[in-house]
Amino acid sequence: MTAVLRAELAKQLRRPRTYVALGIVGFIPVLITIALWASPPEFSGRGGTGTFFYYATQTGLFIPAVSLVVLSRLLLPFVVAVFAGDALAAEGGWGTLRYLLVRPVSRGRVFVAKLITVIFFATIGSMLIVVTGLIAGTIAFGWNELPPIASLFGLDQPPGEIARNMFVATLYVGWSMAAAGAFAFMVSTMTDVPAGAIGAGFGLFMTSQIVDQIEPLDEYRNILPTHYLEAWTSLFNPRYSDGEMLSGILIQIPYVIAFCAIGWWWFHRKDIKS
Amino acid sequence: MVLTPLEHELDSSGPLDGSVIEVRGLTKRFGDEVLAVDRLDFTVARGSVCGLLGPNGAGKTTALRMLVGLVRPSSGEARVFGTRVTPSNPVLQRVGAMIEAAAFYPYLSGTSNLRLYWEAGGGRWPPPNLDDALAIAGLGNAVERRVKTYSHGMKQRLGIARVLLGEPEILMLDEPTNGLDPQEIREVRRLMQRLADTGTTILLSSHLLGEIEQVCSHVVVMDRGHLVSAGTVAELVAGTRWVYFEVDDTTRAAEVLGRHPGVLGVTPEPPGLTVELDGIPRSAAVEALVAGGVAVETVTARNRLEDAFLGLLRESAGA
Repeated sequence: MTAVLRAELAKQLRRPRTYVALGIVGFIPVLITIALWASPPEFSGRGGTGTFFYYATQTGLFIPAVSLVVLSRLLLPFVVAVFAGDALAAEGGWGTLRYLLVRPVSRGRVFVAKLITVIFFATIGSMLIVVTGLIAGTIAFGWNELPPIASLFGLDQPPGEIARNMFVATLYVGWSMAAAGAFAFMVSTMTDVPAGAIGAGFGLFMTSQIVDQIEPLDEYRNILPTHYLEAWTSLFNPRYSDGEMLSGILIQIPYVIAFCAIGWWWFHRKDIKS
Repeated sequence: MVLTPLEHELDSSGPLDGSVIEVRGLTKRFGDEVLAVDRLDFTVARGSVCGLLGPNGAGKTTALRMLVGLVRPSSGEARVFGTRVTPSNPVLQRVGAMIEAAAFYPYLSGTSNLRLYWEAGGGRWPPPNLDDALAIAGLGNAVERRVKTYSHGMKQRLGIARVLLGEPEILMLDEPTNGLDPQEIREVRRLMQRLADTGTTILLSSHLLGEIEQVCSHVVVMDRGHLVSAGTVAELVAGTRWVYFEVDDTTRAAEVLGRHPGVLGVTPEPPGLTVELDGIPRSAAVEALVAGGVAVETVTARNRLEDAFLGLLRESAGA
């Protein structure tokens, strides 16, 4: 198992596209920092994520938070879908899958090694947000306490705790991509066209967000994988923390299990014609 | 020597007749419409070079894919060294298979591609015969370049080097000379000859008769999914009854031979005609032509594989 996993990691690590995808995710917090530095927003007074932009100009510790707001709805799910959707479909497209399987490496091992590799790079991609965000933010706005006004919104954490919560928030957002990533991975076992699998995963994520906007669906929206996407903000607003993060973590699990199980089954019974 | 059951299993040299590949009733149906391979039966003896011959779409590649566990048979089975082939069966470690064109990670160098392939299967880099394999690929310094920059021929040669890394006892090559230039084709054929001489069993699929005739000792002929004929190349060729006559007047010759007993068919092929004889000697046909006032320039036995092949296909189409 370790042999094929090492080979998978090596393949991804030497692939230029990996660095392009990670580079974009890591660069967005820097861009946001520059934008906020060039034209800082006024304090809105409404609370919520809008206020985060103001905080970010007062302490660089909040750059990761605004980066998560910006990235979690579009770019991060896209990058995760790219890693997951490409995993098996690209090998099919290149025709390399058949050589790996007749080497022989069992289909189960290929599947698991690919899945671990996807999780690894999706996690790296997510963590880059908080790492480059903290670095760029601290350089531009300093490692400061929050302004006193923040305490009116129940936010009175010392800098160390804020930084730690930023990592927790980022891990949470990364995990919120799991259902869409698993879907892209499942479709990746079924097609030799990576774009199809990437589009499927990203499409699921976007569809879930759109359906989540339909008010009449009411509590049925709770089962959508993106419904609790911004529940991490409760980390910085303890008054309103109501266990939504836990729901957000749990809701991914049935999707991940179902999509991975179907993908596993499909990949094992599939005729490799690529 | 008495073998314990376990040792007997390890000594999986196949059945007593020495066949290392056995295909029994192998059938593959894709959906309801396509019967890609239909009850295929053949065996390949250890150390022989067997050609899998058939026109495009005959089911050769699907048969090979079933032999290496990429495609599951709808019914029947394929055995390699006596072991029933299942997806990624460990017995495949003794097989080097190039199915359709060689394929690589385009963004990696030739060497990196070989290394990842080798290590993914748990091999320790470098394999003992890396230098030999690279010499066969003959890529020189280009082996360090990204595969993206390779020509088709370079990829094919690297593909052959890759399957040789594991020093396979059976080599399965699917139209390996496809897209190569004449020089490369000659090198690949020489290589197959050399490997055969060292005892490697080779199963070579091809639609090129010349290739099969040049390289193979045995041949399995397929058409539209089913087996047409299997045997040695010599047997197959001996079964033909076609003769080519070069004459001064093909129209008159066709007339004369057309009503001669023992002549089954006449096909004009200027400047002569191909004649199918039913057991009568060639001299009898020449006599008849001369008696009919036709001058005969040359008489050539068309006992070549191509004619045998085309003849078999004609029979299979009629059947």
